[in-house]
Amino acid sequence: MTEPLLAIDDLQVAYHRIAVALHGVSLRVMPQTIVALLGNNGAGKTTTLRAVSGFIGLDDARVIAGSIRFAGQRIENQLPHTNTARGVVLVPERDKVFPNLTVAENLTVATSRRASTTERRRLEALIFQFFPALAELRLRLAGLLSGGERQMLALASAIVCKPELLLVDELSLGLAPVAVEDLARRVSSIRQELGITVLLVEQNAGVALAIADYGYVLENGRVVLEGVATELRGHREIQESYLGQASGEERRSYRALRHEPRHKRSDG
Amino acid sequence: MSLQLVANIIVLAAIYALVSTGYVLVYRVSRVLNLAHGELMMMGAYLLVATAGLFSGNPLLALVLAAICGLAMGMVVYAVLMRWMTGEAVLAAVLITIALGILLRGLTILIWTTQQYYPGATFGWRNPPVHVAPGVQISAASLAIVFFTFVVYVGLFVFLQFTRWGVRMRAAGQNPLLAEQRGIRLHGVYAFAWGLSTFTASLAGMLLALDSGVESTMATIGLKAFPAALVGGLDSLLGALIGALIVATAEIAAIQYVNPLLSDVVPFVVLLIVLAIRPWGLFGSREQLDRV
Amino acid sequence: MSDRSPYAQELALFGTRSRRVRLAVALTVLVALPIIATPFQLDLANQVLLASIGALALMLLTGFAGMISLGTAGLLAAGAFAVGILVRELGAPFWVTLPTAAVVGAFLGLIFGLPSLRLRGVYLAISTLGLHFVVIYLGGEYEARATLSTGIMIDSPSIGGFILSGGRPWYFLLLGFAALALLISVNLQRSRTGRAWRALRERDVVAGALGIDVQRFKLMAFMVSATMTAIAGALFAYFRNFVSIDAFSLYLTVQYVAMIIIGGMGSIPGALLGASFVILFPYAIEAIAGYLPARFGNMVFALDYAAFGVVMILFLLLEPAGLMGIWRRVKNSLAVRRARSES
Repeated sequence: MTEPLLAIDDLQVAYHRIAVALHGVSLRVMPQTIVALLGNNGAGKTTTLRAVSGFIGLDDARVIAGSIRFAGQRIENQLPHTNTARGVVLVPERDKVFPNLTVAENLTVATSRRASTTERRRLEALIFQFFPALAELRLRLAGLLSGGERQMLALASAIVCKPELLLVDELSLGLAPVAVEDLARRVSSIRQELGITVLLVEQNAGVALAIADYGYVLENGRVVLEGVATELRGHREIQESYLGQASGEERRSYRALRHEPRHKRSDG
Repeated sequence: MSLQLVANIIVLAAIYALVSTGYVLVYRVSRVLNLAHGELMMMGAYLLVATAGLFSGNPLLALVLAAICGLAMGMVVYAVLMRWMTGEAVLAAVLITIALGILLRGLTILIWTTQQYYPGATFGWRNPPVHVAPGVQISAASLAIVFFTFVVYVGLFVFLQFTRWGVRMRAAGQNPLLAEQRGIRLHGVYAFAWGLSTFTASLAGMLLALDSGVESTMATIGLKAFPAALVGGLDSLLGALIGALIVATAEIAAIQYVNPLLSDVVPFVVLLIVLAIRPWGLFGSREQLDRV
Repeated sequence: MSDRSPYAQELALFGTRSRRVRLAVALTVLVALPIIATPFQLDLANQVLLASIGALALMLLTGFAGMISLGTAGLLAAGAFAVGILVRELGAPFWVTLPTAAVVGAFLGLIFGLPSLRLRGVYLAISTLGLHFVVIYLGGEYEARATLSTGIMIDSPSIGGFILSGGRPWYFLLLGFAALALLISVNLQRSRTGRAWRALRERDVVAGALGIDVQRFKLMAFMVSATMTAIAGALFAYFRNFVSIDAFSLYLTVQYVAMIIIGGMGSIPGALLGASFVILFPYAIEAIAGYLPARFGNMVFALDYAAFGVVMILFLLLEPAGLMGIWRRVKNSLAVRRARSES
C-alpha cells in the first residue's frame, strides 16, 4: 500500500484562540489522485486548505491539535513560503492573482527553488498548451480578466511553481457552468500529464465528484462522509443535500404542496 | 512669472521628488509610512561628510562609498527594526518610525555636533552658479539634483517594470500573502525596498550637502517632501513627481508673492487641501484609506 | 456603607473599602509632598502635574475614542498664545485668559476633528500633523510681527490680589487642575459618552449602525481633548512666565504620544504613569550624562533625544501595553504564585 502524500490526523484549528473551526478532521490524499473536499459554507473546507498551505496565520488562526503530514514531514503552523518550497501550492479563493501585473508577469513572478530554469521554461510552455486562451492574453493586466480567465491564470501560476500537491479553493465560484466544466476537465488532464496531486475544495459537488477519485464531506468542522467518488455520487444524502436532486418522498410532498387549497397558501 | 522663478520651482520640485521616491517605495511595497525618512536623508548627508573627511582627495570614491552605505543603511534598518513590525498594525509601525527619527536626530548630533559641515569644500569644490538660460542661473549642485532626480525616476521605472526583482516588489506590494505563497520572500523584498528608499534619500541628502551644507535641521526638508508623495497617492512614483511640482510651485509662489515665512507651512496646507478633497491622492485608490 | 448593594458599591467612585484606603494614602502623600520636598523636587512634581493634564487629554482622544492625533503641541501652543496675546495686547487677567484659552481650544478641537469624519488611522494622524504646522506658523507669525525678542514675557497670574508664584502655590493650583482633569476623565470613561467613544474605537462603522451618532461623538472627543490641552497650554504659559513658539515642536507632540504609549494606551493610571516617566526621563539622562566622557556629557539634549528614541522603540516592540501592561503581568504572576503556595 503506497504512502499518502498528504495525511491529516485529528486536525483541530481555532480562530483567535477560542473559536474552534475544525474539530478533529482526518483525511488522506494519495499521490497523483484528485481528492474532493465537499461541504456547505462554514463547514471548514477553506480552513483545512489554509492549514495545509500555511496561509492560516492571516486570520489569527492556529492548529491547536492534530497533525498535517506532507510526504511524511509535519508541516502545520509553518510559513507559506516554506510550504511552497516543499511543493504545496495553494490557489486561494479570493485575491488569487496580482491585479496590476500582466498575465505574463503573473506567471514569471513566482520563484520556486524546486524548478530549475529549464524546468520552469518547460512548465511555462506547457501552461499555454493547457490554457491556450492565456497565450492571447499575455500582456493583459490580470485585474482586467474575466472570472474564468482569472481562475485559469491562478491555476497556471500555481502550476508554474512545480507543485507536488495542488490545493484549489473553490474552483467554480462565480463562474458560468460551461466555464466550470471546461476548467474541471483541464484540471483532470493536468493531473494526467504532470502527475500532480490535487486537493480540491468545492461547493459544487457535481463538478468536483466528476473529476475526483476520492471525496470527503465536511460539516461543522468534522468529516461526516467519505468514499470513492463514484460511490459518493450515488449516495442519497449527497444527492439530496449537495446535488439538488430530491428523493422520492420529497417529490411527493412538492406534489402535495401544489394541490393544497388556495386559501392556505400565503399571499405574494 | 519670470524664468528664474520657474527654474527655482524645478529645482525645488526635483528635491521633493527625489526625497519622495523613498516614501513611495516603502509604502508601495510594505504599506508602511516611514516618518523617519527625513532623518535618514540627513544621515546620508552626514555619511558624505564622513567619507569626504576620509577621502578628501578622491571625491568620486567618497560619493560612491556614501551612496553604498546609504543603501546598506536602509536594509539594516529593516533587518534590525522594521521587520518585527511586519504584519503588525500599521499605526504601530508608523510610531516606531517616528521614534527612529528621534533616535537618529540624537545620534547625529552626538556624533557630529550641531556644527555646519560643507563636504563640497572638503573636496575643494566651490559650487559655481550655472547659467542655464539667459537671465537664469542655478547652482551647479542644483543642476546635479535635477539631473539625478531624472536618472533615478527613469531607473526606478525601468527597475520596477522590467526586472525580476522589480516585478516581485510590485507583486509583494499588491498581495503579500499570495506573494509569499508563490515563493517570494517578503522579508527580502521589504529589506531591499527600504535599502532603495534610503539610497535615493542619501543621494538627495548628499546633493543638498554639496549645495548648501549639512546641519542638524536638514531633516525638515524630508518632512516637507511628504505632502508631495501624498498628493500623488503615496504608492505612485509618477504621482510623487507631479505632487512635487504642485507643492514646489505653491511654495515658491507663496514665498515670492505673499510672505517668505510661509515656506515651511505651504506644503502642509497643500497636504490639508488634498486630504480634504481627495485623500487618496491623484493616482491612489479609495481602498487605500481603509487599509490603514 | 453596608446597606449599599455590591453593584452600587462598584459604581460609586470610592465605594469599596480598599479604594477609600488607597484614596486616603494618595491624599496624604499629595498633601505632604510640598512640605517635605526640595524646591527642585517640587518643580518636578509641578511639571508632572502639568503634563498629566495634556496626557489625560490625549488619552481620552486616542486611548478611549481611538482617534490618533499628532496635534498636541499645536493645541498647547494655541492655549499658551491665547494667554500671551491677551496679556500682551490687553493686559487681561487670569480669569479672562483661562476661559478664553478654553474656548480657543474647543474651537480648534472642532477644526482638528473635522478630518476625522472622513479619515482614519494614519491619514487622520497626518491631517492633525498638517494642522499642527498651520497653528505653529500662525504663532510664529505673531511672534515675528509683534515682538522684538523671541517670545512674550508674562507676569505671574494674580487671583484676587494674591500673586501666584513659587513652587507651593503652583503645586496646589496644578494639583487642583490635574485632579479636575482626572475626575472628568474618570467620569467620561464611565458615562454614556465614554461607552460611545469605546464603540467608536472598536469599529466606528458598526457603532453607526447601532445608532450612535458617530459624527457628534467624534467631534466631541476632539473638542473635549483640545479644550483640556489648551488649558494645559495656558497654565504652561503662566507657569513659565514665558511664551515662545520654539517650545512647541513636533518633539513635544511625540513626548505626549510617548506618555500614553509608555504608560499604557487607554488607561487613566497609564496616562499619569506615562507623564511621570516622560517628564522625569531627561533628568535621569542628565544624571547619567555626568558619568560619560565630556564630549557626550555636554550635549545632554542630544543624549536625551537618542535615549528617548531608544526607550520608545523598546516599548513599542516589547511592551506595547506600556507600564500598565508590565504592572498587570507582574500582578498576575504574583497572584499565580500566591495561588500556588496556597494550594
